Amino acid sequence: MRLNTSGEAAGGSGLDLVYGAIADPTRRAILGALARGEAKVGTLAERFPISFNGVSKHVKVLERAGLLHRTVRGREHWLRLRPEPLREAARWLSHYRAFWNVRLDALEALLVTDAARSRSRAARPKGAGGR
Amino acid sequence: MTDWSAAETVLVVRRVMRVPRERVFAAWLDPAALARFMCPGPVTGATAEVDARVGGRFRIVMRHARAGGEHWGEYLAIEPPSRLEFTWISANTDLRPTVVTIELNEHAEGTELVLTHRRLPAGQVEAHRSGWTDIVRKVEESLAG
Repeated sequence: MRLNTSGEAAGGSGLDLVYGAIADPTRRAILGALARGEAKVGTLAERFPISFNGVSKHVKVLERAGLLHRTVRGREHWLRLRPEPLREAARWLSHYRAFWNVRLDALEALLVTDAARSRSRAARPKGAGGR
Repeated sequence: MTDWSAAETVLVVRRVMRVPRERVFAAWLDPAALARFMCPGPVTGATAEVDARVGGRFRIVMRHARAGGEHWGEYLAIEPPSRLEFTWISANTDLRPTVVTIELNEHAEGTELVLTHRRLPAGQVEAHRSGWTDIVRKVEESLAG
């Protein structure tokens, strides 16, 4: 699709995967925790009141959305936040910020012009015969 | 510097207009007015079709050199003179529905217009409203720290 231009998070369903991934409070909490820095899957799991497998499932969803990068060092799995898909998902917003600002300028100009026009029409005499 | 400030799913634009809000409201449902204010700048002309009732649809076509000039949607709320809400779909929303809310408040100088444009992942509106900004704030803090 048109908006998706970058790498693995793109392709028809890329943005949907990102939105789907961050819709869940636990997954948002995982991203929040990783925003403070890289963490081991095990350490991360200890911080959440759900099973290791539960955390692991959430991590997989985040990985599929391209929001996490996993590195295996020996027997340890480390996770790092990948913020790029979030930026990609937010791209529409910068487009529309400019779009609406320009349109609202035009709307205001149109309404102010029309108001001035109808005022001048009202001020003009309606013709000699009219009362 | 990382542009985290843009990473939101809700866009809000405010404007004070020296026009009564009845007139501002009417312009949003008037095809002739829409065709005029939706075609500033490089747009060479626009046409608008409006079925102004809840559940009714609109379609605005902006003609310019680039593609992607077609926008359409459905009215979700029509409450003159203070509130209008509609879905908004175009190539720039990835052809997914977004929701635009126009709120018109009385203001000493005329009308305060508050336009809110939300990106809606299917069925996940509430989760997003609370969620996204939190993550961004945390990431921002971590980048700053």
